[in-house]
Amino acid sequence: MTAVARFFETIGRRTVQSLDEVGYGASLLGESLFWLVMGRRYRQPVRVEATMLAMLSFGVGALPIATLLSGTIGLMLAIQSLYSLGLFGAESFAYIGIAFGVVREFSPIIMGILIAGRSGSAIAARLATMTINQEIDALHVIGINPVRFLVSPVLIALVITVPCLAMWANLVSITCAGLYVSAALDMSFAAYIRDTMNVLTTHDVWHGIGKSALFGVLIALVGVINGASVSGGAEGVGHVTTRAVVQSITLIVLADMIFAYISTH
Amino acid sequence: MSEQPAPSHQQTAAPHGAHAIWRPSEAELADRPKVIEVDHLDWSYGSRQVLYDISLDVRQGEIMMIMGGSGSGKSTLLRHLVGLMPPLPGKVKLLGKDFGGLKPMEKLDLRRKIGVAFQFGALFSSMNVAENVKLPLRELTKLNEKTMDIMARIKLEVVNLSGFGDLMPAALSGGMVKRASIARAIIMDPKLLFLDEPSSGLDPAVSSALDDLILRLREAMDISVVIVTHDIESAFKIGDRITILDKGRILASERVETIRNSKNERVQHLLNRQAEEIEVDPTEYLKRLTGG
Repeated sequence: MTAVARFFETIGRRTVQSLDEVGYGASLLGESLFWLVMGRRYRQPVRVEATMLAMLSFGVGALPIATLLSGTIGLMLAIQSLYSLGLFGAESFAYIGIAFGVVREFSPIIMGILIAGRSGSAIAARLATMTINQEIDALHVIGINPVRFLVSPVLIALVITVPCLAMWANLVSITCAGLYVSAALDMSFAAYIRDTMNVLTTHDVWHGIGKSALFGVLIALVGVINGASVSGGAEGVGHVTTRAVVQSITLIVLADMIFAYISTH
Repeated sequence: MSEQPAPSHQQTAAPHGAHAIWRPSEAELADRPKVIEVDHLDWSYGSRQVLYDISLDVRQGEIMMIMGGSGSGKSTLLRHLVGLMPPLPGKVKLLGKDFGGLKPMEKLDLRRKIGVAFQFGALFSSMNVAENVKLPLRELTKLNEKTMDIMARIKLEVVNLSGFGDLMPAALSGGMVKRASIARAIIMDPKLLFLDEPSSGLDPAVSSALDDLILRLREAMDISVVIVTHDIESAFKIGDRITILDKGRILASERVETIRNSKNERVQHLLNRQAEEIEVDPTEYLKRLTGG
């Protein structure tokens, strides 16, 4: 086979594999929602306790690093805004860029990337280890649907916690930016917050929350798809974990761009 | 169960003072219903066929040993028997029901009647032993916590693991993991028990104790047991019938005594642990090694 033929064969194989994974992701999402709605009827409800535990791990466990990151982002935005707007003497309008930037863009995407790295990898590694150790097979033979038992709680937890973290990030970022800007421009912090609240609309907040929920879905599905597709031993677990993080972050950035385009047109 | 013949005739030799374990005779088993029926099962992984026209059955209360060399298709057959793979083409019936044709709820009901212990235990590493054993009860029944605790303690006692419920699987030895896995497999009082390589990696004493445990379980619960194993000693000790797979085909499926006295060369090779003699063409062999 010539190198050209091999090149096209590789492209073809990867395209089919990607489409296969997209289909698998869609079916996982559908099945998770099915168990969420119909689980009780089939005597297999999605456990509230498992969902709460996942939320605790993904959300509360991420609070310290989320606070640090969002505070830093807020400060960084304030510094850059004051610098760039200061070039043409418009520092007093810094709050506008900071408010929109944080609420519509930075908080959702930074929290998405944080959770993809922190929890997406954990989901993929857990699923992969369970697959290798035949724990998924064990669930099947016991009569426990693995999607209902493992995927649904994770999906629900991420759809709830990523937006919550994004809201927390909004609060921390705007507060930190406000402290910096008010000190730099010699204005009161209360005045900064009032200006910010005046410029932000509910639509802006929902824009960020909607994106965050979508990122939560993406992180859960990518983690599960990669975890379930593991082959080999420990090396395989490492491979799918890395792949899950890279794919999640890529998809988050792409989805963010698409979301921004659709919501502004 | 009342229509079944009373278990009385045959008993294994027991050490002085020990309880003799009941073994059903051939005639007794013949009168019992078939609980597993495999009919003309074929299976391929891609272009590589691993099972060819497998047909076998297991009677209620019977211990069926499935043996064969590595790559003979034992584990694949077991995965079909427990419903982890669709029997295409062919049919696998458990307790008279064809797994492939069942609705989800019927499948769930059937799964409650079977227990599976995997080769490496497949205990959930995030739960302690007791939680592992209780998991089927927690997820598939509406029993309260106290009842589940009692049932888990009973099953752990049966497999000689009482007092180990609080340990995490990582803290258990290989034999204990297998016994904990069996405790989980029998927690729902199944009618069929499938064990994958229960004695692999265990020392002879632990392996023998596990054999006794399986016999006691069969006696106490009147369950049918299918065991995939390489352990010839164990197969002769506890099996009623042995099915030997060779390159995906059934080489023999007979009573233990018949297998022991078999004149079939391949069967004897397997029982005597002799490697298969393969005639090698030196030129071909050299080509294969050098990639030429």
